[in-house]
Amino acid sequence: MGLVKFLSKRLVAIAITISAVLAVGYVLIYISPGTFYSSTNMGQGLSQLQVSDPTLYNQYINSLNSRYGLNHPLIVQVVDYVWHSLSFNFGTSFENPSVPIIHQLASALPISALLAGGAVTLAVVLGVPLGVLAALKRNTLVDSALTTVSMVGQAVPSYVLAVLLVLLFGVWFPGIFPVNGWGTIGEAVLPIVALAAGNVAIVTRYTRGSMVEALRQDYVRTAEAKGVARRRVVLRHALRNSLVALVTVVGPTFAFTVISTLWVEQIFSIPGMGSLLSQAFQDKDVPMSITSVYILSLLVMGMNLVVDMLYRFLDPRVKLE
Amino acid sequence: MAVVSATVGPGVRVPRRHAQWWLAWRRYKRNKLAVAGAACVAVYLVLGLIGPWVAPQNYAQANFLYANHPPSLRFPFGTDGLGHDMLSQVLWSMRNAIEITFGASLLSFAIGVTLGLWGGLRGGVADMVIMRLVDFMFAIPQFFLSLFLVVAMGRTVWPILLAIGIPGWAQYARLVRGLVLGMRNGEMVEAARAFGASRAHIARRYLLPNVSNSMLVQIAFGIPVDLTVMAGLSVVGLGLRPPLPSFGNMIAQAGANVLGYPWLMYFPAAIFAVILLSFLFVADGLQEALNPRAEDGGRRARRFGFGARGRLF
Repeated sequence: MGLVKFLSKRLVAIAITISAVLAVGYVLIYISPGTFYSSTNMGQGLSQLQVSDPTLYNQYINSLNSRYGLNHPLIVQVVDYVWHSLSFNFGTSFENPSVPIIHQLASALPISALLAGGAVTLAVVLGVPLGVLAALKRNTLVDSALTTVSMVGQAVPSYVLAVLLVLLFGVWFPGIFPVNGWGTIGEAVLPIVALAAGNVAIVTRYTRGSMVEALRQDYVRTAEAKGVARRRVVLRHALRNSLVALVTVVGPTFAFTVISTLWVEQIFSIPGMGSLLSQAFQDKDVPMSITSVYILSLLVMGMNLVVDMLYRFLDPRVKLE
Repeated sequence: MAVVSATVGPGVRVPRRHAQWWLAWRRYKRNKLAVAGAACVAVYLVLGLIGPWVAPQNYAQANFLYANHPPSLRFPFGTDGLGHDMLSQVLWSMRNAIEITFGASLLSFAIGVTLGLWGGLRGGVADMVIMRLVDFMFAIPQFFLSLFLVVAMGRTVWPILLAIGIPGWAQYARLVRGLVLGMRNGEMVEAARAFGASRAHIARRYLLPNVSNSMLVQIAFGIPVDLTVMAGLSVVGLGLRPPLPSFGNMIAQAGANVLGYPWLMYFPAAIFAVILLSFLFVADGLQEALNPRAEDGGRRARRFGFGARGRLF
């Protein structure tokens, strides 16, 4: 399949999938009990107003409803919100009516993207050498230690690790890394470490498996028979071939990291997408919830698309479909 | 081995039908980590079952005089800012965690297996629609669907169970469908068809027993993932509504207060991590014990990073 055809097909699929998610999400928020007016601080003032001056209250609610298009039939609202998201026309949130959502995204998204990107990069930088080491020392103490540690790393969720890191560098060894907030490079270290641990484990396990496989191949034996240095055989012949499929791990890993970012940001009080999303969902802030899910899904699906294309580029035998 | 047919015809039972479980246990026993994991899981289940009766206090009981009390004889795990006894909180959390994660996994399993069996056996449009749905579920992080479902249904035990269980079905459906496609045109199904067995009968009698081992492994991998998601919902402020106790609430609370009151973190986080690890070891052991033929497939799956987590949200 040609690249253009492949790309257009995938983009259409992404648009359809995301529209479906947003539509389902919107309907679920719509049928949920309570609204933004009743679930936030604003609710108390409003309920007093409702008692003291019902006419003014109704006027106020009506003006808000028409501003956010909530006075239309449900189907129109769903189509509107999905279409506005797809055309990147997010409007304003309930919580913060004076700041366009796009401005809030502009400050929050780069933070989360930096954390997720940093975590995946760190995972590859650490995980590949560890995996190679485990494969070379197969069935020794080093190997089983690495395998066990990576199993622990995979089992313990990022938020538990994040709290552990806060304890470690906030209470036991204070002053090395800041454990709270955002703004300096140092403040990014611990969140990235907490996010990367699970990914390091995945990449290590994966690299170990594919290296063990690769070292058994005929071309490795040939290279060794021809007297190629061990180092060169490992790095050039085996590792290069086993790395190609590593990009396929990066896709799911990235999706998992994006979700973990939401959690880790909460623990370290980082003003990224996590705080926007959790605040929006807790307050039933419809435009903000829909938009943050939209942006993060787009990020995940875009990454999967990139990974598929990269795989095709690295391994010409793979067919795009 | 995994595909020893327990029945040769309607009503005729092979006497040694338990042989495969015995063999599986023998293989399982060899994996020391898996045995240790099973012991931990057993303790967890028992504590979760009797927890509410042996807990020193009710989970909602606050002792303001003893707020933020460090671990002591009276409060072995310390108390939090409202004077909740953390030991009681942990015991009650286990109860909630067991109810929600086992319930959610069984729900995902039931939906997924039904759809997978139906689609795989029937083929055609039904199969295509189901597989498109599966693709859809895999394309987006399931956590988002859980978030929307929690908002729609609320933050008590049943809604959280449904919010975690409903989006999880695709994993099971895909696995079952793949296995069914492999068996659909085999001699066993053909023979059953020749005897005039209905599709439902074939699914129940011949296919389901043959996918049950893989399903058991899948559930064992799925429970810790569901537990992670359940606590993750609490971390973003959308889990069980306090004062309902849960590991996620305790960990989120510990995250906010760990600098002043580190004991809030010690016990809940350590116990939570041990539970997750135990399930993982059990799942790994089950994989080896129940699917020795699929060992290669298991290794391949692990190599691609999907093994231990089952699904990556």
